[in-house]
Amino acid sequence: MAKRFGDTLAVADLSLRVERGSIFGFLGPNGAGKTTSVKMLLGLVRPSAGKGSVLGAPIGDRAARARIGYLPELFRYQEWLTGREVLAFHAALAGIARTERSKQVARALEIAGLSTRGNDRVAGYSKGMQQRLGLAAALLGEPELVFLDEPTSALDPVGRYDVRDLLRTLAARGTTVFLNSHLLTEVEQVCDRVAIVRAGRVVASGTPADIAGARLGVRVRASANGVPLQETLAAFGNVVVEDGGAFVGGVADDRVPDVVAALVAAGARVYAVSAVSQSLEDRFLEMMSAP
Amino acid sequence: MIHVAVLTVVEVARRRFALLAAIGVFALAAMTGWGLHAMRAGIGAHPHAMGESEARQMAAFMLPFISFLFSFVLAFAAAMSAATMLSAEVESGVLLPVLARPISRSAVVGGKALGLALVVAAFAALYGLVEYSVVFAMTGFVPPHPISAIGALAGAGIAVMLLTLALASRLQAIASGLVAILGFGFAWFAGIAGSLAAVYKNETLVHAATVAQLILPTDALWRVSAFALEPAIFVAQLQQRGAWAGPFFVTTPPPPAMMAWAVVWAILVLAIAARSFSTRDV
Repeated sequence: MAKRFGDTLAVADLSLRVERGSIFGFLGPNGAGKTTSVKMLLGLVRPSAGKGSVLGAPIGDRAARARIGYLPELFRYQEWLTGREVLAFHAALAGIARTERSKQVARALEIAGLSTRGNDRVAGYSKGMQQRLGLAAALLGEPELVFLDEPTSALDPVGRYDVRDLLRTLAARGTTVFLNSHLLTEVEQVCDRVAIVRAGRVVASGTPADIAGARLGVRVRASANGVPLQETLAAFGNVVVEDGGAFVGGVADDRVPDVVAALVAAGARVYAVSAVSQSLEDRFLEMMSAP
Repeated sequence: MIHVAVLTVVEVARRRFALLAAIGVFALAAMTGWGLHAMRAGIGAHPHAMGESEARQMAAFMLPFISFLFSFVLAFAAAMSAATMLSAEVESGVLLPVLARPISRSAVVGGKALGLALVVAAFAALYGLVEYSVVFAMTGFVPPHPISAIGALAGAGIAVMLLTLALASRLQAIASGLVAILGFGFAWFAGIAGSLAAVYKNETLVHAATVAQLILPTDALWRVSAFALEPAIFVAQLQQRGAWAGPFFVTTPPPPAMMAWAVVWAILVLAIAARSFSTRDV
């Protein structure tokens, strides 16, 4: 799909496939076209070109939308309603049976950690609480697919941890999560697959490990006791001696015991050996700075 | 659609619009009551106490003025309420989670129109009930067709609301409200010009005024409302004089076809609003 706003190409040749039950991370810097892409998938913005399907139905299909939850990036709820009333309204719009609504609303409030504030007016909610309310609304009726656009942007560290935990619970239940974010560590921790978008184009997609790339090497923390680390470890790869140990480039998992054995045999005391990989963040920054 | 309509009514109530509207109606009625009492009792530097018949005539003369003042307040309130809907709600982010739900955009527009129409009608009904009761209590005057008068007044308010809603499907709040209020003012002005032109038998101007009334039937509805307030004898006197009755009195009401057109106009404008909102990106 593609989307053009006047002379601005917001999304170009977007081609994606998200498997059911996965947590899919859609990454990109601000203005890359992530929100526009999600809005196209929800039928809120009409594509200038191309087509797509969501839950087996054409995008924007009303019956399919009943099975979708959505937390927009920039949103506000009716501040003159209570949190419970907002959720009751959305439960009604979502087509949840009248007899089920209060139970579903109470459950959503509990999941979002707002049970004790459900009867307060939204006007009195902090930004973080409003985001929790948005999450609760998105999860009403146990949707098969949830689009979360920057769901943790207003949350404190505890809130972010809760959301990550919640995403894993949703995935375990079989819910598909489409997560828009520019918080790379968050995505790396929870997503099964990611796509990186830049200036409206997908520039990479795969598992976070695939995108981050191969192992760089291992970092050894050891007291040398007069042992020449450079010579001892040279057989395993390029060695850079560091304060309190060394970095050995290109060491695969199966050679780690050999590295430790060589150090011990030479008389060094080994405290730790850790794998060093390129992080998703490193790779992301690399892609964004590429011409 | 019903859920959106209910939410719209709740919004109006919670935002204290209803309270302020009620206070306005009672304040207007209190002023009317005091004014009529002052006239009847002959309060002032040169007292002239009115008899019952004179007081009723005075009430019949006053009521169209007050009714016009209220029709402007109603139009203004309708425009301001509708202007804050749709585009303004898309911009604030209130509508995004709603529009992602399995509800058509036409239903959202229809629900808002229905909710606001109920509020406008309730506002007009409250005005009619309180104002006419006070006038009756002070002078014994009862307008000949009070329900038609209030119905047409509410219709004019609903027409302004629908026009604003259609504009608000694309334009921002201030622009939508301003254009609708200007439209209401122009239509009223065209109506005055048309009534003057009728007296001086200027057919071109009469036709132009009719076209203006067709484009925005608020003035036609106001004329129906004003005519419903005037006793037959009052109308006969005005007709007998043959001169222009002024901007607040109506000697010949718009034909029934104009009322039918007002209904068609409302349906068309609502359809345009729904279509316009359905085809935009949010």
